[in-house]
Amino acid sequence: MAIISIENLSKSYRVYQKQEGLLAAVRGLWHREYRDVHAVRDVSLSVEQGEFVAFLGPNGAGKTTTLKLLSGVIYPSGGSANVLGYVPWKRENEYRRRFALVMGQKNQLWWDLPAQESFRLHEQIYRIPPEIFRHNLDELADLLAVQKLLGRPVRELSLGERMKMELIAALLHSPEVLFLDEPTIGLDVVAQHNIQRFLKYYQERRKITILLTSHYMKDIAALCKRVVVINDGAIQFDGSLSGIVDQFSSTQILRLQLAEGVSAEGLDRFASVESVELPKVTLRCNRQDVTRMLASILKQYEVADIAVEDPPLEEVIARLYEDHSSGGKYEAKTGEPSK
Amino acid sequence: MADNNQIGQTKIGPNYLRVFLTFARNSLVRDMMFRTNFLIESVSSLAWSSMNVGLYLIIFQYATSIGDATGWGKYEFFVFMGTTWIINAIVQAFFMPNIEEFSDLIRTGGLDFAMLKPIDTQFLISLRKVSWSSLANLLLGSVLIGFSISQLATRQGTPWSLPPSVFLLFPMYVLCGVAILYSLMICLAATSVWLGRNQTLYDFWFYITNFSRYPMEIYARGWGIPLFVAFTFLIPVLVVVNVPARLLAQPLAPKANWEWPLALFTLFATVLSVLASRWVFRKALLSYRSASS
Repeated sequence: MAIISIENLSKSYRVYQKQEGLLAAVRGLWHREYRDVHAVRDVSLSVEQGEFVAFLGPNGAGKTTTLKLLSGVIYPSGGSANVLGYVPWKRENEYRRRFALVMGQKNQLWWDLPAQESFRLHEQIYRIPPEIFRHNLDELADLLAVQKLLGRPVRELSLGERMKMELIAALLHSPEVLFLDEPTIGLDVVAQHNIQRFLKYYQERRKITILLTSHYMKDIAALCKRVVVINDGAIQFDGSLSGIVDQFSSTQILRLQLAEGVSAEGLDRFASVESVELPKVTLRCNRQDVTRMLASILKQYEVADIAVEDPPLEEVIARLYEDHSSGGKYEAKTGEPSK
Repeated sequence: MADNNQIGQTKIGPNYLRVFLTFARNSLVRDMMFRTNFLIESVSSLAWSSMNVGLYLIIFQYATSIGDATGWGKYEFFVFMGTTWIINAIVQAFFMPNIEEFSDLIRTGGLDFAMLKPIDTQFLISLRKVSWSSLANLLLGSVLIGFSISQLATRQGTPWSLPPSVFLLFPMYVLCGVAILYSLMICLAATSVWLGRNQTLYDFWFYITNFSRYPMEIYARGWGIPLFVAFTFLIPVLVVVNVPARLLAQPLAPKANWEWPLALFTLFATVLSVLASRWVFRKALLSYRSASS
C-alpha cells in the first residue's frame, strides 16, 4: 500500500490585487479587487514506502505548498491526501510524531542557545525515551560530524553547520516520512555534497520515505530515482531523471573532433552548429536524424573522435518550464501568495 | 535499526509539565548568557514600579481616599497596586513575549514549525519562552502587599482581619485574572491571521488594560457606567485586578451585597474567556496561509 497518496489535491488563495499609484491605493481602502492564485491544482501522486522522490519545478510552482499540505500546516481547497494512514491537516499527534519537515530557508532551533538545548526540548515534546534519544543524537552527530558543535550557540554556526543541526532536530524522533524543502539552498559545494551523502546513507539505512524539493540538479541526480516535475501547480512529469530527457528533449548533441587540418566548413548543412573550436565542433540535431547525420558526416569529413550526448538536464528542464509558462494555458499567473 | 518506528507508535502524549520546565530552563540559560541585559531589564521594571508608588504617595498627601466613601484609602490602594503588579508580572513573564511573537510567527510563516509538533499548538505558542526578569515585579508586588496589610492590620479604628480562606481565594483569583488577560491577548494576536499585520496590538492592549488598573468604584457615575458595563461584561478586564484586590484589601466593611455575585461572575468570565481564546486560536489556524519559503 502506498505510504503517501494524494488525489486531486488543490490549494488556491484569494489575494488582494494591489494597484499601482497612490490614488489606486486609496481606492483600495474600500474597493478591493481580488484574484485567485492556484498554488496547487489537481495534483495526484502515490509514493511507496522507502521511495526517495524529488519535486522539481521553478519558483512558485507549488512544490512547497504541496509539502505544507502534506505536513498539515495548511488546509487544501479541494482533493484528499493520506500519509501513513492519516489525513495530514487533521494534525493528529500520532501523525505528527511520525514525520518531519525540514525547510532550508527557515530554522526552528533557538538562535541564542546551543543546538543541544533545542534537541532536549524535542526529546520532551516528542517524548523520546532517553536511551533512544542518546543513541539517535550520537549517531546523527557522528554521521554529520558535528559532535563538537553541539554546545555552541546556533547563531555562531555557519549556514552549513546550522542546516546539519536542523536535520538532526528533524530526525531525532526517527520519523518514517521526511519532507525536505530545499535543504541545500545557499550552501557551498562541499556542504551540499556532505548533506547529500548523509541523506543518501540515512535513507538507505533506515528505509524511510523522503520527498525532496530542490533547485540543484546535483541534489536530485545524487539522491532520487524518481522525479516529479511540477509547474503552475500541476504535475508535468513523473518518472526517472533520464526519462525527462527522453520525453522532453527532441535533440541530441554531437561532439566531433576533426582530424588535423580538416576545416569545419559546410557542417551546418547537416545540423545546427553550436560551437567551433577547432579541432572540436559541437552540433545539435533531431534525435531521429542522428544516425543518418553521422553516416553522412563520416563520409565527407575525416573525424578523429566522436560522441553523441543528451543535452544537459538543466537545459531540458529550463525548456520544460519555459514551454509551459509561455503557453498561456492558464490565465492567472501562479505564484506564492503575496503578503 | 531496532528502534525505528518505536517512538511514532506509542500512544502517550507529551508531558506538558516537563515540556514547560524545559522551556523555562532554556529561557533561563539564555537570560544568563546576556546577564547585563537581564539585570537592566529587572532594574528598569523595578524602577518604573517604584516611581509609581512615589506618584501615589504624593497623591495621597492631598487626598485620603480614591473617591468619597469608597473605602480605598492609601494602604487599601497599595494592596490594589501590588495585585496589579503581581498579575502583570505573571502575564509578562509567561505570556507577553510569546504572544507578541505569535503575531510575527503568523506573518513570517514561522508558525509552521509549531504546527508540526505533536503537542497542543496553543500551549506551545503561549509558553515557549519565559521572561524571567519580569518576575522582579512579582516580588516587589508581594512586598508592597505584605507591607500595606501590616499597616492595615495595626491601624486604629477597624483593624484589618481576614478569614484564612482568603489566602486560598486570593491566588485563585489572581490566576483567574491572568487567564482573562491571556485570553484577551491571544484573541488580539490571532487577528494577525486575517489582517496580515497587526502592529497596533500593543497599543490596543495598553488602552484596554489601562481600565483595569483602578478600583471599579471610579466608574460608578455618569460616563463611567457604560465603561463599567463594557469592561465588565463585554471584555471583562475590570474584574481582573478588582476581584482579588477587594478580597485582600476589603475596602468596604461590611461587604456590599454585590461582592459575591461579582466573584462568581469572575469565575464564569474566566472559563468563558479561556474557551473563547481556544476557539479564536483554532479559527486562526484554519485561516493560516503560511508565508512562502
